[in-house]
Amino acid sequence: MKVSRDEVKYIGKLANLRFNEEEMDKLIKEFESILEHFVNLEEENLDGYEMYSFDEKSLRTRTDEVVNFDNRDKLFSNVKKMRDKCIEIPKVVD
Amino acid sequence: MYSVNEIKKGLEEKEFSTVEIVREYLEKIKKKDDKIKSFITLREEEALKEAEETDKKIASGKKLKILEGIPIGLKDNIATKGLKTTCSSKILEDFIPPYDAGAAIKIKEKGGIILGKLNMDEFAMGSSTENSAFFDTKNPWDLERVPGGSSGGSAAAVSAGFAPITYGSDTGGSVRIPASFCGVVGLKPTYGLVSRYGLIALASSLDQIGPFGKSVEDCIYGLKGVQGFDEKDSTSKDVKMPDYFKEIKKGIKGLKVGVPEEFFAHGIDKEVKEKVEYNIKILEKLGAHVEKFSLPITATGLSAYYIVSSAEASSNLGRYDGVRYGVRTDEYKSFKELIVKSRTEGFGEEVKRRIMLGTYALSSGYYDAYYKRAMIFRKKVEKLFDEAFEKYDVVVSPTLPVLPFKLGEKRSNPMEMYLSDTFTVNINLAGIPAVSVPAGFSKEGLPIGIQFIGDKFREDILFRFAYALEQEIKLNLNPWKEGR
Repeated sequence: MKVSRDEVKYIGKLANLRFNEEEMDKLIKEFESILEHFVNLEEENLDGYEMYSFDEKSLRTRTDEVVNFDNRDKLFSNVKKMRDKCIEIPKVVD
Repeated sequence: MYSVNEIKKGLEEKEFSTVEIVREYLEKIKKKDDKIKSFITLREEEALKEAEETDKKIASGKKLKILEGIPIGLKDNIATKGLKTTCSSKILEDFIPPYDAGAAIKIKEKGGIILGKLNMDEFAMGSSTENSAFFDTKNPWDLERVPGGSSGGSAAAVSAGFAPITYGSDTGGSVRIPASFCGVVGLKPTYGLVSRYGLIALASSLDQIGPFGKSVEDCIYGLKGVQGFDEKDSTSKDVKMPDYFKEIKKGIKGLKVGVPEEFFAHGIDKEVKEKVEYNIKILEKLGAHVEKFSLPITATGLSAYYIVSSAEASSNLGRYDGVRYGVRTDEYKSFKELIVKSRTEGFGEEVKRRIMLGTYALSSGYYDAYYKRAMIFRKKVEKLFDEAFEKYDVVVSPTLPVLPFKLGEKRSNPMEMYLSDTFTVNINLAGIPAVSVPAGFSKEGLPIGIQFIGDKFREDILFRFAYALEQEIKLNLNPWKEGR
């Protein structure tokens, strides 16, 4: 299956990733080889099966109650910089 | 080194102290892990402090818990409070979780002593541990070969004797594959048996934490240490499991074994096929009834797995934006560029490939052909396994179609790497358990694993087969030879 350069660029935009020309060429080749294998899904007879059938799987629910988590320092321990109660990030608009 | 039972007995009978045991393991790691490269982070000071506490407990005559004083290693995608958890990724290289994962909480509650964190493929994406952003882990049986992946550090550490129990995570074979390549026992439990809270997600509907041990009994200790309900994981199940130690003594006489023909078909290494078939004959000798049957899911299952797991990964990894945590790029002109550059610089090649593949499969125009069809096929896999378990107690196959390959051999060909997972991925799609057990060695001395697949929450049956085979073939699983 053929994959176009524009398609890869578009998917990259959706995924918030950037590729240079060389990486793009490599990715197109790899994508084509992987998608070629995926063709077997088209050949599979899936009559009688549905994507969603939750009959036997009841999801567990929990009580809707407020649980306070007041250790803010711990919660934001991996943040690069804080100002008051907010995460400070570098200026990105003029 | 020691089995869990040997350590427990030694501590109870005061042959040695916990501090002595923990120190012995740490020293072995420091002396020998420069060859294997299994650990990313060691937790030396805290581990010795905890060992002292355990010794006080022993001296006071308190009853010891199931993992009391047992040295443990954790894959570096299981969150550990105050201890770096990197997922072997540059994007999380400075991440220190403010909380423990559900599995880590249970291990600590049951007295286990965490020695450190183990190398893996970045975000658990890979079958060789060559996708770690930090370094390659080597196979203890042949240092030029991969240990398998993605939990390669965890399997190699147990094999090399750096800890009696380690834990990995299995999304499409990531416990069973390295267990097979490193000649150890590795279990992928039923989805819902072990808490996923604090396991950094690859594909949430497939991920499951599982234990490694050098023997079936050690692996059972590993599972008992982490299994059970956790309200913080909405997919956790509250199921009463039997006493595995009692169950394994029952043997396998009269149990029914299904052998799926497609798992022995073209593309499989001749030595792997012969060794697994030889082991199946041993099962027959031990009184099991063996029957061949058709389970036509291998090739399509691999496609469905890579579509579903990549789609979930592309969504799960959307959170890494360089803003709240993780690596942030140095130069950018806009907020969008900050995110794009942080992700592009922070993620490795395989992670980016899978995010792209997942985004593609979910994108408008391709969703129906890929994601939706893969999810429907998943239902078919579940049904085919349900039908198989109406007839058989266990389904048996090789864990992998290949022998442990050389470092770099498949690195440049992602599709070839993905094919290594052919026999393991369907188990995750169906949410059922499977265990890889050492079945013997190739002529070159490379480990070969056999996979026992069971119905949901029937880990007891898997352990019965694994133990019966282990006791019958009695392999020497020490990889250290003179001169190494």
